[in-house]
Amino acid sequence: MGTTKPRPAGRNSIAQTQALPDKTFIIDNGAYTMKAGYAPGFPPPDDEETALSACTAIPNAIAKTRGNRIYVGAQIGTNVTDWNEMLFRRPVEKGYTVNWEAQKEIWETSFFDEKTVRSKELRVAEPEDVTLIFTEAPNALPALQKNADEIIMEEWGFGGYFRCVGPSLNAWNEVQSLFGDTLLQQPGAAISPTECLLVVDSGYSHTIVTPVYKGQPLQRGIKRLDLGGKHLTNYLKELVSIRQYNMVDETYIMNEVKESVCFVSNDFSGDLEQTWKGNHKHGQPELGDGVVVDYVLPDPNGGKKGFMRPHDPMLGTKKRKAAFSGGAEHLSEDVLVLGNERFAVPEILFTPSDIGMKTAGIPDLILQSLSVLPTGLHPAFLANVLVIGGNSLLPGFMERLETELRQIASAECIVRVRRSKDPIRSTWLGASRLGTNKEELKKVAVTRQEYQEHGSTWVGRKFSGAL
Amino acid sequence: MYHVEVVPNSTTSHATPGWTYVPDKGFDPAKAAIAPSLGRKRGIRDPARTDVSSRQTNAIVRHLAELDRENHRDVAISVPARQLKDAAGRGTRTKTTSNVRRILQSQKTFRNHLDDEEAALAQAASSTTASTAAQRLSLNKITKSSSSRRSSTPATTPRPDPATARSKKDLPSPASQKPSTTDNTTSTNQEHDSRDPGNGLIKSQHDNDPLLKSYTPTAPSERIMRALLSEPPLTYNASRAGPPVTRKSARKFCCICGYWGKIRCRNCHQRTCGIECYKVHEDSRCGAFF
Repeated sequence: MGTTKPRPAGRNSIAQTQALPDKTFIIDNGAYTMKAGYAPGFPPPDDEETALSACTAIPNAIAKTRGNRIYVGAQIGTNVTDWNEMLFRRPVEKGYTVNWEAQKEIWETSFFDEKTVRSKELRVAEPEDVTLIFTEAPNALPALQKNADEIIMEEWGFGGYFRCVGPSLNAWNEVQSLFGDTLLQQPGAAISPTECLLVVDSGYSHTIVTPVYKGQPLQRGIKRLDLGGKHLTNYLKELVSIRQYNMVDETYIMNEVKESVCFVSNDFSGDLEQTWKGNHKHGQPELGDGVVVDYVLPDPNGGKKGFMRPHDPMLGTKKRKAAFSGGAEHLSEDVLVLGNERFAVPEILFTPSDIGMKTAGIPDLILQSLSVLPTGLHPAFLANVLVIGGNSLLPGFMERLETELRQIASAECIVRVRRSKDPIRSTWLGASRLGTNKEELKKVAVTRQEYQEHGSTWVGRKFSGAL
Repeated sequence: MYHVEVVPNSTTSHATPGWTYVPDKGFDPAKAAIAPSLGRKRGIRDPARTDVSSRQTNAIVRHLAELDRENHRDVAISVPARQLKDAAGRGTRTKTTSNVRRILQSQKTFRNHLDDEEAALAQAASSTTASTAAQRLSLNKITKSSSSRRSSTPATTPRPDPATARSKKDLPSPASQKPSTTDNTTSTNQEHDSRDPGNGLIKSQHDNDPLLKSYTPTAPSERIMRALLSEPPLTYNASRAGPPVTRKSARKFCCICGYWGKIRCRNCHQRTCGIECYKVHEDSRCGAFF
C-alpha cells in the first residue's frame, strides 16, 4: 500500500482510507495571471466581495527588465519600476500549462517558499493537508494533463487533488441574481451548480465557449476562437508601430494602453468615419472629438505613469513654442494619438476576417457551439450566457455581444448576456464555492493515497469521467 | 483451378503510392487557418479557386503567428538559481521522482506536444484502416468538421432544426389564411414567451389552432443528457471555431491609416484609402513582396 513514502509524524502509518483534507487551495492557472487562494469554510460568505478577498491574482510569468534583472510572479507587480523593453517568459502557452520548469519556480515563490510568499493567505505550508483544485483550459492535450497530474502529486504531494475544466466551475457561482432570476437555493443548504449555463471565456490566449450542464461541460459544444487579449495587444502594438512610434518591444506598456483606451464599437463604420483624417481638412470642427484620444506614455525617469486624455490637436505647436520659450512642461512627454486603433483592435474578436482569419467571431462561435447540441437545450443556454475573462472588461463588449447574438439567434429564444461581477476571478470564485461542498468534492477529487496506489493514468481517467 | 475470394472494394485500404481518391470533407478547421489550400506555385499572384492568392494566405499566416508571440524577439529567460533554499523549503517532502525530473527537464513547447498528438492520432488511424468500419467511423469523428460529426454520432436523437420547424409551421397554411394573421401568430408567440404562465391569459377559440401553436422543442431526456455528458473531449484541433455562419465579404482597410481600403496597390495588392496614403505606401512600404 502507500507506505513506501515517509509520512509526516503524528499520522497513522497504517494505511486507512484517507479522507480529503479539510483545507482547499485553488489555483486558476491562467496564462496571464494565476488566481489563487484558500476556499472559505461552510457556509460561504454571501457577499462576493468578502469571498473574493481570499483570492489574489498573481502575474504568471518570469520577467526580465532592460537591466537584465529577473522578477518572478508577484514581484513583477511590486518591485518593477521600469517597464520599458520588459520581456516575459510564460509557462502557460495557448492556455495550457506547458513549461513546468518555469511554473514550478513561480509556484514555489508564490505559495511554498516562506521567504517569498506575500501573505499567509497564500502560503501552502503542508501540501499533505491541503486539497488542490487546479483548473485547465478545455480540450487539453492528454500528455499535458498527465504532466500536470504527475508533477502536482509527486513533487508537492497534495493530500487531495482535483483537476477540472476551468469554465465549468462558473456554474457553481450564484448567477441567478446576475440574470435577475429568483433564487431557488435555500439559505443554508449545500451549494449546487446551475443547471444550464453557457460560459464565454475571453482570456489572454483564446476565447472559448463552453456549454455547462449541471456543472459539467458538454464536450461536443466546446468551441475555441484562437484570439485573446495577447493578440489584441500585439495587434495594437503593430498598428502603432506602423503609424507612430516603434513600440514593438513594449508589450507591457502597450497592454496598459490597450486596457485604458480600447473599446468595442457598436457602430463600427460610423466610428471609422469620425476618425478619418480627411474630415479634419475641410475646416470643420473636430469631428472625432469623442473617439480620438492622446495617451501619454509612462516616463520611468520621472516616475510617471501613462494616462489617457482628450486629444489635443495643437500639441505639436505647443511643443514648438515651449521649446522656444524654454518651458519644459510639454517637452518631456511622449504622446500616442489613438484614433481608429481604439476600436479596430478589439473588433477582430467579433470579425476575425479583418485580419484575414477565416473563422467565426464570438457571436457566431456561440451559435456553432449550440448547433451540435439538441435544440431543446438552446433556449436554456441562450438565456444564460455568462461572459468571463479580461476582454469582457472592454467597454462596449457586452452590448455588442448581446446585440449581435440577438440578431442571429432564433427569434423564439430569449437572449440574456451577462458579465460576471469580477470576470477575471469568476472561475476561482466558482471553485471556492465547490470547495465548500465537501460531498461533491469528495466524489470528483482523488486523495494522495489513491494516486500512489493507482498512478497517474488512473487519475487521468477519473478526471475525464471514465471511472 | 479457380480461386474465389472477396476483392476489397474500398479505395482507402490499398496503399498504392501516387494518388488516390480521398473524400472531400469540406472545411477543416484544423487546417483552414494554417495551410494554404492551393499548391505552392499555382495561384501565387492570382486567386485561382479560392478568394485569396497563396501569397496573401502565407502573409496572413505569418501575421497571425506574429500576433501570437509573447515577446517581439526570441529570448531565453532562465529561471533564477535558488541557493540552497530548496533543501530547506522542502522539508518533509519526498525526493524528486523520475517523472518529475523528466517533466522539469522537458523543453517541449506547446507546438511540439501538439505535433506529437497529431502524429499519434494519425498512426492510430493508419493502423485501424484494415480493421472494422465502425472504428474508422469513430476516427473520422475526430477529424471531420463539426457539422458532419453531428450526424455520425448516435448519441443524439434526430431533432427538428429550427429552420425546418419554422417552415413546417408555414407550409400547411391554407389559402384562406391572410398574411396579416401570420404576423399575429408570431407576435402572440412572443407574448406567450415573455408572460408568466398562469398569469391570467386571455382565452380565445384560436388557442388550439395548430397554426398558432408555438413549436418549442422539448428538453432532451435524461438519457440523452447522460450520453452527452459522458462524451470524451474533442481534440485540440477539432474544437477550433468553424467558418463564419453569416457569409459577408471581408472588409478591407487602408494599410497606412486604417480607414476603408478603397484602392489596391498595383504591385503588392495592399489596400490604401486614398491618394495621400497611397503615396506614403509607395514611398515607404511597397516592396511588392506579396
